[in-house]
Amino acid sequence: MCGILGIHNPAGIAPDLDGFAAGLDRLKRRGPDDVGTWHDACVRLGHRRLAVVDLSAAGHQPMESVDRRYVIVFNGEIYNHRELRRQLQPRGAWAGTSDTETLLEAYRAWGTDCLPRLNGMFAFAIWDRTDRRLFLARDRMGVKPLYYAERKGTLAFASRPGALMAALGYTGLELNPDALRVYLELGYIPAPLAFHRHMHKLPPGHFITVDTRGTRIQRYWDFRAIRPDPGMYKRSEGDLVEELDALIKDAVKARLMSDVPLGAFLSGGVDSALVVAGMKAAGVTHPRTFTIAFREAEFDEGPAAAKSAQYLGVDHVHETLDVNSLLDLLPTYIEEYDEPLADSSAFPTMAVARLARRHVTVALSGDGADELFGGYHYYPLMDRLSATLRWRRQAKHLIARLARLFPVHRAKLLAGALRCNDPVALFGYLRGVGKDYPALLSGEVMNALGDADTWFAQYAAGFAVDLTGAETGMRLDAGLTLPELFLQKVDVATMAFSLEARCPMTDYRLVEYAMRLPQEFKLRDGQTKYLLKKVLARYLPAQHINRKKMGFGVPIAAWLRGPLRDWAQELIHDDALVDHASLDRSRLRALLQQHLSAEREAHPLLWSVLMLLCFVQKHDPRRASTQLSYREVA
Amino acid sequence: MASVRPARRILLLFTAVYANGGIQRFNQTFIAAMASLGVQCDVLSMHDTDASIGSRGRGPNLHAIGFSGSRVRFACAAMRAVWSRKYDWVLIGHINLLTLVMAVIATQPLMRARTVLIAHGIEVWYRIPRMRRQALRRVDSILCVSAYTRSRVLDQTPGLPPERLKIFPNALGDTWTQASPSALPRSLPQRYILSVTRLEVGDRYKGIVSVIEALSMTEDASLQYIIVGEGSDRPFLQWVAARFNVGERVHFWSGVTDPELTGLYTRCQAFVLPSGKEGFGIVFLEAMFFGAPVIAAAEKGALDVVRDNETGLLVPFGDCIALKRAVDRICSDDVLRERLRKAGRSTVTGDGAFTFARFVERSAQVLEIARVAAA
Repeated sequence: MCGILGIHNPAGIAPDLDGFAAGLDRLKRRGPDDVGTWHDACVRLGHRRLAVVDLSAAGHQPMESVDRRYVIVFNGEIYNHRELRRQLQPRGAWAGTSDTETLLEAYRAWGTDCLPRLNGMFAFAIWDRTDRRLFLARDRMGVKPLYYAERKGTLAFASRPGALMAALGYTGLELNPDALRVYLELGYIPAPLAFHRHMHKLPPGHFITVDTRGTRIQRYWDFRAIRPDPGMYKRSEGDLVEELDALIKDAVKARLMSDVPLGAFLSGGVDSALVVAGMKAAGVTHPRTFTIAFREAEFDEGPAAAKSAQYLGVDHVHETLDVNSLLDLLPTYIEEYDEPLADSSAFPTMAVARLARRHVTVALSGDGADELFGGYHYYPLMDRLSATLRWRRQAKHLIARLARLFPVHRAKLLAGALRCNDPVALFGYLRGVGKDYPALLSGEVMNALGDADTWFAQYAAGFAVDLTGAETGMRLDAGLTLPELFLQKVDVATMAFSLEARCPMTDYRLVEYAMRLPQEFKLRDGQTKYLLKKVLARYLPAQHINRKKMGFGVPIAAWLRGPLRDWAQELIHDDALVDHASLDRSRLRALLQQHLSAEREAHPLLWSVLMLLCFVQKHDPRRASTQLSYREVA
Repeated sequence: MASVRPARRILLLFTAVYANGGIQRFNQTFIAAMASLGVQCDVLSMHDTDASIGSRGRGPNLHAIGFSGSRVRFACAAMRAVWSRKYDWVLIGHINLLTLVMAVIATQPLMRARTVLIAHGIEVWYRIPRMRRQALRRVDSILCVSAYTRSRVLDQTPGLPPERLKIFPNALGDTWTQASPSALPRSLPQRYILSVTRLEVGDRYKGIVSVIEALSMTEDASLQYIIVGEGSDRPFLQWVAARFNVGERVHFWSGVTDPELTGLYTRCQAFVLPSGKEGFGIVFLEAMFFGAPVIAAAEKGALDVVRDNETGLLVPFGDCIALKRAVDRICSDDVLRERLRKAGRSTVTGDGAFTFARFVERSAQVLEIARVAAA
C-alpha cells in the first residue's frame, strides 16, 4: 500500500510546493517508509511508500524508465509481474525486482493495452515526457482508490480526497448535492461521484488519458455483460468444486508475493477460512491469522474463528476487547475517512488491522465473496419478492396498505417492496439505509433525477439479459457496493495502521467465473454461497461451515442511546452544520428523538448523518471539531 | 386427400395496425401481402380507431374496423365473423388475443377456417399462462418471426408438435421501399450514429444507455448521436448522457416523419441498436435498405437479421467496450462501412431474404402448406 499524488497542466504547473507537501503529508499513513517527488514544467508527481516488494532503493518512486521517457507513481501490487517480466524485453537490464518497474515497462511495450494483462490491485499514473501524455488507471474491481479533480486546465489526482484538497489549496467545502442525496440513501456514493463538487472518483476498471486531444475517460474491463453459462449445469458438482477451489488457490497464491511478513484476517465465516486454506495449499505452513474477539457473546466471533484456526492448523492471534472499547477508534474513523462512509463495521476492521500490524505488514482478507457468490440474506428475498413485481398495480397498492397495518418488520418490508416496479428498484429499497425514513434533504434536491435508483438503473443497463432478481442484486453489489463501500472501508481502515490488505476474492478471474456461474450454484435450498461452502467442506467440517452468519456488527443503536448520545445530540443540534449539509433541522431532530426514546430504530440513517456532519465540520476551518465526550459518558 | 387451394378470404385479428411500432409494421406488411395475393381481408383491430384507420383500411379486397380498445365490441365482432363461416383462415396477430379468439371459435363447431397465430417476440418468451398454452395447442399453425421466438414457444409448451411452428421473418413494407429521403428541416451533425426506438422505462433493454456510454469513449470525440423516438424514459437518458459528459453530443429527436427518417438513415455513420430483446428488429431492415451500416446485439431475434461482419456488426448485449470498438471500426474504416452497406442492402433488395416480394411468397406458401399439412 502506498499513496500517490500528482498535478498536471500542459500550460505549466503553479509552483505551490507547500500545498503539494501538505497533500503528500496526508498520505503519510499509506506510506510511512519513503517519500519521493518528481517534476517538470507540466507535471509534479509525489509518492509515499509502504515497502512490500523490493525493499531496496530500486523500488523508490516516482520511478523513471531507463530511457527517462516515462515516470510512474504507483499504489498497489501487480501479482503477475514476474510472469509479465518474462514477456517483456526491457531496453536495458532490470534495475531491481519491483512490480513498479515491471508496470512501467509493460506500459512502454503495450501502451494502454497493458491493463488487460495486469492481475492486481492498483491505482497509478504514468507521465509520457515525449508525447506529453498523462495516463491514470484504476484496477478492475476498485480495490485501490483514485480521486481526481479537473479545473481551469489543471488535472490533479491522489489516493485520498484530503491529499487532493491540500495539493489544490481547496480550503472550504463545496458539497456536491448529487453525492449528498445518494449518500443519505445508501451510506456511500458511487464513482465518479465525490463529495467535493469539483472532485471525482475514477470508477473501477477505467483509465484516463490527458493529452493534446483533451481528457478522455475509458472503461477497459466490465463484468456486467457476462452471461450465466447454462453449460455449467451439464458438469458434475464435484467438477465445479474442483474448478472453483483451484481458482481460489491460484488467486491466494498470487497474493502471497511479498518481501515482508504476511498474514490473514480470520473470522469464523466461510470466506476468510477459504483464503487461509488457500494459503496453506500454496505452501505457507503456519500462516499467521488475526481475529478480534469480544467479551459480549452476541458480537463475538472469537470462538468460531479459533475453531477455524484449529481445523486449518494456523498460527492464530486474537485480541479480546469490550465492544465499547471500539469507541476509542472513533477519532481515527473520523480523521482517516476523508469522505463520509456509513459502515459501522469499519470499527472492528480498524481494530483487527491494528492488531495485525503489530505482527505483519500485509494481510489477506475474504472481502468480495458475499457479493460474487451470493452471501447476503436479501438475495433469496429478492427472488421471492420479484414475483410481486408482476402483480397488478391495484393489487400491489391494496396489499401494501394492508401490510402497513401490521406492526412487524417483515410486513413493512413487504409494503415497501410493493412500491418497486423492477428488480433494480427492489434492490435499491432492500439495500438502502434511508428506507422508510422521512426525507432529510430539501425538496429541491430530492425532486431532481440522480437518486440511488437512477444510479443503479444506469449501472444495471449493462447487465446481461434475463437475470433473476437475486443475480441482479449480486451484480449491483459487486459493481457498486463492494468497491465503493466495502473495499473502500477496508482500504482506509487498514491504511490507518499502515497495513496492506489484499483481497483474493476480487481476482478478476474469480469475478468472471462467478458471473458465469448460474444462480443455483450460489443459492440453493435456502442456503447462501452454496458452491463456496462445498469448496470449504474440503477443509472444515460441515457443521462448522453451516453455523449462522454473525457479521462484523457493532451496537450502533445502543451507542447512540448511551455513550455517543451527547456527541450525537451536539452535532445534530448544531444548526450551522446541519444547514451546510442541506439537511432539514426539524425532521432530523425528530428522527434523533424517536431513536433516543426507542420509539423507532433509526441508527442506520442517523449514523450516515453523523458521519456527514463530522465530515462537514472537519472541513470548516472556522471551527474546532465537536468534543468527543463519549469517554466521560461511558 | 383434401383439395389444395390458396386461401380466398382471411380474417385478420390484430391488436393494432395503423400506429408506430414493430408489430404494427408487421401487420401492415401482412395486409399488403394479402392484397398483392388477391386475398379478401377483413381486419378487426382492437386498438385502432376510425380516425387512425382512415382511408387506409378500405380497398377492393380490404375492410378494416377499429374498436378503440373495447374488448367487448371486438369479441362480438369476432364472433359474428366466425359464425359467418366465410373465411378460409383466421389469423390471430398477437398472443394477447389468443384465449379470447379461441373461446369465440369454440362457439362455432362447424367453422371450417384454419387458425394461425403470429408469435412476434417478448410477449411469448416468458411465462405463457396455462390457459394460453392450452389455446396454443389448438392453433393449426404458429408463425414465429425468428428462430429464437420459435424455440421459446416450444420450450414453454410441452406437447406442441414442432412442425406447427414455422419461422416467418418480417420484411420491409412496400411503402418503405418506395419512400425517398427528404430534406431534413433540422440541421444535421456532420458525423453521427443513429438509433430509432421507443423510449419507455420498460424498454431499457434496447441498449441506449450502453450506446451513450460507448459514445463517451469513442476515438472521434466529435461524433454525435441522434436518438429518434418518444417515451417517458427520455429524462433518464438525458441524465445518463450528462453523467457520461456527452450531454451535448446526444440529440433526442421526436416527431420525425418517415421521409425525414429515411434521410437520417442515409446519412448516418452507423445505425446502432444493441437491444437485448428484439423479437425481430424491423428497424434493422429499414436501416439496411437506406444504406446504414448496422450494429446490433448478438441476442435473440436480431441474430436472424444481422450476420456478424457480413451485414452488420454484432456485439454482446450490454458490453459497452465491444460497442465502442464496433463504432470506432465502422467510423474509421471506409471500406468496411461500404461493405456492410452493400451487404445489408442486398438482404432487403433484389433477391434478398427480407424483401416484400419474398414475404408475399412466404405468406402464400405458408397458407397453402399449412392446408396440405392439415390434410
